[in-house]
Amino acid sequence: MTINELVGSVGLKPLSTFEDRDISGVFVSDMVSDVMAGAKSGNLWLTIQTHKSVIPAANLVDVSAVIITGGKEIPQETVELASKYSIAVLSSELPTFELVGKLYELGLGK
Amino acid sequence: MEMRIIKDVLGASVLGGEDRLGESVEHIYASDLMSDVLAFGKPYSMLLTGLATQQAVISAHMAEFKGVVFIRGKKPKDGAEQFARDNQLVLLSTDLDMFDACARLDESWKKEHHALEKGATEYKREEILLSRELCINGNDFTNAGLVSTQVKSILKKIGLDPKLVRRVAISTYEGEMNVVMHAKSARVNLSITPKLIEVVIDDEGKGIPDVQQAMEEGFTTATEEMRAMGFGSGMGLPNIRKNSDELEVSSEVDKGTKVQMRFFI
Amino acid sequence: MSECRHQWNMTNVRFGFVAFEKCFHCSGVRTFFSKEESPHLGEAYREEEHFWSRVENAQSLRFDLVCSECGRVEDYTELMGLLHCTGCLPECEVEILQQKLEKEKTWLVVAFGHLPPGSDEPFSPEKMKILTDHFNQRRDTSRSRIRVVSFSLIKDFTVCKGEFIHDVGMLSQEPPAERKPLF
Ligand SMILES: Nc1ncnc2c1ncn2[C@@H]1O[C@H](COP(=O)(O)OP(=O)(O)OP(=O)(O)O)[C@@H](O)[C@H]1O
Ligand SMILES: [Mg+2]
Ligand SMILES: [Zn+2]
Ligand SMILES: [Zn+2]
Repeated sequence: MTINELVGSVGLKPLSTFEDRDISGVFVSDMVSDVMAGAKSGNLWLTIQTHKSVIPAANLVDVSAVIITGGKEIPQETVELASKYSIAVLSSELPTFELVGKLYELGLGK
Repeated sequence: MEMRIIKDVLGASVLGGEDRLGESVEHIYASDLMSDVLAFGKPYSMLLTGLATQQAVISAHMAEFKGVVFIRGKKPKDGAEQFARDNQLVLLSTDLDMFDACARLDESWKKEHHALEKGATEYKREEILLSRELCINGNDFTNAGLVSTQVKSILKKIGLDPKLVRRVAISTYEGEMNVVMHAKSARVNLSITPKLIEVVIDDEGKGIPDVQQAMEEGFTTATEEMRAMGFGSGMGLPNIRKNSDELEVSSEVDKGTKVQMRFFI
Repeated sequence: MSECRHQWNMTNVRFGFVAFEKCFHCSGVRTFFSKEESPHLGEAYREEEHFWSRVENAQSLRFDLVCSECGRVEDYTELMGLLHCTGCLPECEVEILQQKLEKEKTWLVVAFGHLPPGSDEPFSPEKMKILTDHFNQRRDTSRSRIRVVSFSLIKDFTVCKGEFIHDVGMLSQEPPAERKPLF
C-alpha cells in the first residue's frame, strides 16, 4: 500500500507536499529517541508530537510518513520542513490507539 | 475491559497491583507525552507508554487512570512500583512494541464489544464495568458448578447485594448444569453495567425441540443415571425464570441452545 | 586486512537524558548525559566564576554500532546528540556544505559531542563515516542520503540556531502552549 492509497482509506488529511511511496510497517512512539533506535525505512510513524524537530528525525530514519494523531494543530513550520524533505505529514482526528486499530485492519502490521 | 484480559492479551508481566487485575478500564490511551495524558486522557483508562519513569505512573494517577502498561519490555525503577502500590494502580510490562500492543488490544476490545451487542440489550460500551468469558464442558461432572462459583465470587467481590448475587448464582448454576447434562460445550459471557448483570450461556449441542415445553415445571429428558445423581426433576429452567428479571431461551435442534438472563441492579 | 563490507546496527542502546546547563553569568552552555529516572531542573549553583543551572533535559539515547557481519564494535560514548542545521548563518561551514550536498539529494546531520567542546576532536572522520553508513544502510538511498559531520565544523556555537533531534518537555505535566527551543 502507498501513502496516497492510505490517505483515502482511513480519512487522513495530507498537509505537506510529498512523493508517494510504499508503506512498510508502522512505528508508534512520541519519543524521537525511540524512533532513532527502532523505526525502519518506509515505516509510518504515528505520534502526537507536532514540533518541527520530528521532521529531521523522520528524515534521518527514512520513514514514509508522519501521522500526527488526536487532531492536533500542526505548526506551519513543521509542514514546510517536511515538504523540503518530501516527507508526508498527515493529520488524523483519531487518537493513537483507535488509529492503530484501523491500520491493523488494513493489514499494515509488520 | 478487565485488566486481567489486557494482561493476557499482551502476554504481560505484572509489576504491581496483582489484586486489582479483576477491575475494568473504560478506555485505552497510548501516549509517551505526559502533558498529553493529563490533557486528553479520560478517567478509568489504561495507559500504554514507552516512557518508563515514575513520572508516567504519577501522571496516570493524576489523570485517574487505573493502570499503566510499559511497552517493549521497559520497566520503571522501584520508586514507581512503590508509588503504584500506594495509589492502587496496576503496572504491567509487555515485550510487544506500541503498534502490536495497540493492535491486539483493539482487536479483543472489538470482539468483547461485539459479543455484548449480540446480547441484545442496548447499553453503551462505556458503561460496561466488567465483562468476563468462561467455558463449560458438557458431561464433565467433576468440574460442574465451577463457572457459577466463579461468577458468584466476582459479583461478591464487587460488593453487590448478597440477595442479588444469590439469584444470579443459582440461575447460572442451573444453566451450567443443563450444559453439563444435555449439551457438548458452552461459552458463558458475564457482563456487568451500572444497571444490570447479564449472563449469556451459548452452547453447542443437541438443542431443544420445543422450548415452551422445556420451560414447564417437571418436564425432563434426563436419564436414569442423571436422576440417580440428584438431577433431572425438570425444575432447572423454571428456576431460572423465577430468579431472573428477564430470560430468553432460543434453540436450534442439533446446533445448540442460547440462554440469556438479566438481573436488574 | 579484512574486506568486510560492514553492516552497522545499533547496539548497547541506553536511553536517558542529555542535561543542559547554562551559566547566567557568561551564557556558557555545558552538557552531560544523565541516567536519572526523572531528571529535574535544578537550582542555580556556583562553580568558580560560573553560575550553572540546569535549563533543559532532552530525552535522548546513547548507542554503539556493531557490524552484523564481522562483529566489529564502534563506540559513540562522546556522542551527545544529533543536530539539524537550520541554515541560520550563511557563512557557517555546515550551511555551505549543506548547500552543496542538497544538489546531490544528501541531507546533512551534525554530531554533537560534549559542550563546551574540548581541544581534541572527539569524532574522527572514520567514526563519522561509520555513522553515516549506518543511517544510509537503514534507508532507501535511491531517494536521498544522509551525511553525518562533526560539530567542530560549526564555527560559532553561541549564535548557532541548529535544532537538536531530541524531545524536550517529555516529563512536563503542563500542556505546552508553544514548545520552546532548547535555549
Ligand atoms: N442446554 C440444553 N441443551 C439441550 N437440552 C436442554 C438444555 N437445557 C435444557 N434442555 C432440555 O430441557 C429440559 C428441561 O430442562 P430443566 O433444566 O428445566 O430440567 P432438567 O435439566 O431436565 O432437570 P433439573 O434441571 O431439574 O435437574 C431438559 O430435560 C432437556 O431436555
Ligand atoms: Mg436442568
Ligand atoms: Zn564488518
Ligand atoms: Zn559562566
